[in-house]
Amino acid sequence: MTDELDLVGELGGAEPLRPEAYQRARAVLRAAMADPGTVRLLGAISAEDTTMETTSTMETTTTTREHESSPAIQRRRGIGIAGRFGIGAGVGVAAAAAVVAVVLNSSATGGAVAGKDSSAAASGSAIVDGSADRAPLMTLAGSIKTITPSAGDAWLVKATQVQGTKTMQVVYTLYTDGHAIYTGNSVKDIKRAITRQQDQMKAGGYAPLLKAAVAAADSSPADGRTQMLKAAKDPLVGLDPAAQKAEWDKEQAAAQEIIKLKGGNAKPKPYSPQAVQQHFDNALWTYSTEALSAGDGNTQVRAGVLRLLSTISAVSVKNSTTNGKATLTITAGPEVFGSEGGEVLTIDAKTGMLVKDVSTVPGLPQASTTYESSRVTAADL
Amino acid sequence: MASDAVLIGRSLNGDVDAFVEVVERHEAAVGSYLARRAGRDAAEDLLGEVWVAAFESRRRYDQSYDDARPWLYGVALNRLRRYWRSRPAEDLVADVTDLATGWDPWAAVDLGVDARAVLRSALMRLKPEEREVLRLVAWEDLTAADAARTLGMPAGTARRLLSQARTALRDAPGVSALLKERNSAKERHR
Repeated sequence: MTDELDLVGELGGAEPLRPEAYQRARAVLRAAMADPGTVRLLGAISAEDTTMETTSTMETTTTTREHESSPAIQRRRGIGIAGRFGIGAGVGVAAAAAVVAVVLNSSATGGAVAGKDSSAAASGSAIVDGSADRAPLMTLAGSIKTITPSAGDAWLVKATQVQGTKTMQVVYTLYTDGHAIYTGNSVKDIKRAITRQQDQMKAGGYAPLLKAAVAAADSSPADGRTQMLKAAKDPLVGLDPAAQKAEWDKEQAAAQEIIKLKGGNAKPKPYSPQAVQQHFDNALWTYSTEALSAGDGNTQVRAGVLRLLSTISAVSVKNSTTNGKATLTITAGPEVFGSEGGEVLTIDAKTGMLVKDVSTVPGLPQASTTYESSRVTAADL
Repeated sequence: MASDAVLIGRSLNGDVDAFVEVVERHEAAVGSYLARRAGRDAAEDLLGEVWVAAFESRRRYDQSYDDARPWLYGVALNRLRRYWRSRPAEDLVADVTDLATGWDPWAAVDLGVDARAVLRSALMRLKPEEREVLRLVAWEDLTAADAARTLGMPAGTARRLLSQARTALRDAPGVSALLKERNSAKERHR
């Protein structure tokens, strides 16, 4: 016997939330619990901000900047909606600001512009100047592929993300030697992800970038760049100069509209092969470092990302020591970010694994992520 | 297994994981509730804010109730109201019953497009508080008493509103015919 409640009940279907949405929501909660100040900040997050994709207020703060952006930013957002899993938000922040600056700052000269000819720009390939400075990255990329870990069957990485002095979130990720990646805000979350077979390498929002990074480990630098940019759905990569210019102008016009609506004023940046090259370098840094933060414990991902970063001429590499351990400091200066901000990655000089990532955006608190890695046996978690 | 009330009590004593466990128990239900009322994209954005709001207000949770779900729906509803207030009218889903057709074509097929229109119209004629209780009972599977907890009203009031809503629905043009048709069809299939 059907009654009126049954009929109304039949109207109550709803599209289920995506699994990563639950994870993001829990991360928001954990960030709030870790720092009561965050509670107030999160409470202030505008409900209109439907593009918010991660848990950190830092990213929310930069949303406005993202609107004033190039195709690359829209691409980032697309990936986020498809299922970013939170880690490495600090990386994204600096990179996001960077893409904005590269595209909008018409006075940015990019002192270390890599490519000069349009065919290189069209394919996303780079003419690598001063590559000797970045040779340690290529050397390390070659050596880490042969590393055999001594104990356990997986890496457990704890990433602590801090904005200014506030801890925004803590993300745990398990990287098995079989190349699976499980992530969560606690070890318990990881165990659940294993049970549910939520392997980020296969199904997460970062999967395309991770696959491109793995491919880059065994590709030529130019092919590696193109594969990463294509994985990130860069709208300019692979286009001939005429089509590239049309796309560029379209995006510039769209950006101008948004800036105007917001009461801002900025001159459009004219199309040029150098401007496109800057855009590609910026996008490559963004997506490669996102892949690294997501796939840190996977040797193939690390090797591929190091090779990709070595193709960016405005990236410098120095030997350093962190807590008594030999490290490499990889610096992407303002040239990568359109003359403002910067990002510094510190990686273990033997394994290539992330130790620290510090990004700076003028006018915003510094964002840093500290990585603690240990060998574990997955079954013992 | 510890009740939600016990876990919330523990969280007040500093056990961070206890509150997360409460969230994990109810996240699918609260997520669906938000999606039914605001659409999936907005629901995904709002869910974290609901948890933070619930965490902030957990001191006010009445620990005589073991099950926190009705209370969490109430927190979610408050957040939804803020969301609706902040949105331009044209951005809001005109009628929640439209949400179902957006993703599940079979719901429309099973119920019939005309029937949906009849029901939608009948629902919109209800008083807002009647509609709210009815939705909580029909969609979220709550009892009238639990719906009362969600809406912060006496249980007797919720029962009365539910009864009024059901009567109004049964008497609404088209709905009685729809029920008759449904039930006679079932008779024929016996």
